[in-house]
Amino acid sequence: MKAVYKRDLRAYFASPLGYVFIAAFLIIINGAFYLTNIQNATNNLSGVYQTILYALIIVVPLLTMRSLSEEYKQRTDQLLFTAPAKASGIVLGKFFAAYTVFVIALAFTVIQVFIVAAFGTPNLASVAGNYIAILAAAAVYIAIGVFVSSLTENQLIAAIASLGIFLGILLLDIAYSLVNSSVVKSILYWVSVYRRFNTFYLGVFSIADFVYYVSAAAVFIFLTVKVIEHKRWS
Amino acid sequence: MIEVSALTKTYGKKRGIDRVSFAIGEGEIVGFLGPNGAGKTTTMNVITGYLSANSGAAYIGGIDVLEDPITAKRKVGYLPEQPPLYMDMTVEEYLNFIFDLKKVRELKRAAHLSEIAALVGLTDHYKRLIRNLSKGYKQRVGLAQALVGNPEVLILDEPTVGLDPKQIIEIRNVIKALGKSRTIILSTHILQEVSAICERVLVINNGQIIADDKPDNLSSMITGDRKLSVRISGARDAVLKTLREVDGIRYAEATIQAEQGAFDYLVEAVPNIDIRKPMFGALAKAGLPILRMTAMDLSLEEVFMNLVASKGAKK
Repeated sequence: MKAVYKRDLRAYFASPLGYVFIAAFLIIINGAFYLTNIQNATNNLSGVYQTILYALIIVVPLLTMRSLSEEYKQRTDQLLFTAPAKASGIVLGKFFAAYTVFVIALAFTVIQVFIVAAFGTPNLASVAGNYIAILAAAAVYIAIGVFVSSLTENQLIAAIASLGIFLGILLLDIAYSLVNSSVVKSILYWVSVYRRFNTFYLGVFSIADFVYYVSAAAVFIFLTVKVIEHKRWS
Repeated sequence: MIEVSALTKTYGKKRGIDRVSFAIGEGEIVGFLGPNGAGKTTTMNVITGYLSANSGAAYIGGIDVLEDPITAKRKVGYLPEQPPLYMDMTVEEYLNFIFDLKKVRELKRAAHLSEIAALVGLTDHYKRLIRNLSKGYKQRVGLAQALVGNPEVLILDEPTVGLDPKQIIEIRNVIKALGKSRTIILSTHILQEVSAICERVLVINNGQIIADDKPDNLSSMITGDRKLSVRISGARDAVLKTLREVDGIRYAEATIQAEQGAFDYLVEAVPNIDIRKPMFGALAKAGLPILRMTAMDLSLEEVFMNLVASKGAKK
């Protein structure tokens, strides 16, 4: 796992991909910060954090599209899967490499907390809760992205398919606020990454929702491992 | 060291390999010969654990590749047909990554890697980006990768394909040197390669092993000394008459007039008879000098036709 993690992390910054990802992410987030916090002179950063959640739809596909697709295309998967390493270790290495790049990008947004602190008092408990929630929700997106990339050797297809899935999740969230049936509502609640973020957005730290995110990420990592193991039989 | 029993792998309805069985002892260099699509790569992919077989089993050093893949894979170095290289790394970074990936513990990293680089002739290119290397050097990096961790078994899929003649000879020499202490399977569709490197040949066609023998025993088919192209000076009719009287010559015909007063002849011998000496004697006696004599290499297809035919005859 460590070898793959190190290699992938290095590869993000050996190509423009890592920088493009961080730049795209920061442009969106700082735009949101300017429009909500600076323009309205508010100390409530929750708007920015919710924007991050929406930004994931666009930026995570950039981050994960190459993950396994590129290995298939360059045939380096033959190297990985004939090495004395478990498929789960390889997938985890890839997942955490993408995740680390995301964490690096997210770290830059901490500056905003300092800016707010310079002119007012940010609600630090809410800020901390939001960061934890973003980190957990991003794990779900990245796990889905890695999973999609394990299905195709074409990066572009991987990126577009992930984007499609993320937009689908967003639509489910919109559907949630439109339907009246409580049964449908509770089903939608289970698949909506956004709904669960609302508790954090309001400044409440919910263990249940945190566990939900972590387990959803684990499910997609598990599915990715299964896809790879299945490939051997095809 | 390697044992394969009744391995079958199908791709949908198409059969990749069909009940392939063989055993390879420690220290053997075995050539895997067959045309493209015969099942060489499939067999290698199953042995290395990249693919799973539908039925049958593969053992490396007595360990089942399916049951205990990690231990089995630790014993194998694999060079796939297309070397699995990361173009964005230098040779040094790449080999270090392989060292980590294979979780090599018992060897000293720097010493081991520079030893491998020296062995395959990469020392001068150690700090270069793999992307910028020529095809021959990329192939060497692929071979180096297989050697990391000193595996007991090397599986090399068409290691010389796409190289220029000088590089081919260099890589063959490296493989021969490696074979002194390791068990090696290499696949090829070039007949000469097998006789140049291997002690034993497995011939595979349509997913089945059709011959398993020493190259010498297959040599009449492999080296193709049954068909000769001979350039002989003198009148065409006189030459043909002389040739047809030589014992063991089954067939002779003039092909082209290659030089002033000399023709090229295609001469075919009866199986298992070396006609070169009697032919020389007869022509010399008739005062018809031989200007050149070349063995015509049989194409792989012809060898297969022969093998399939002889197999059919036995049955």
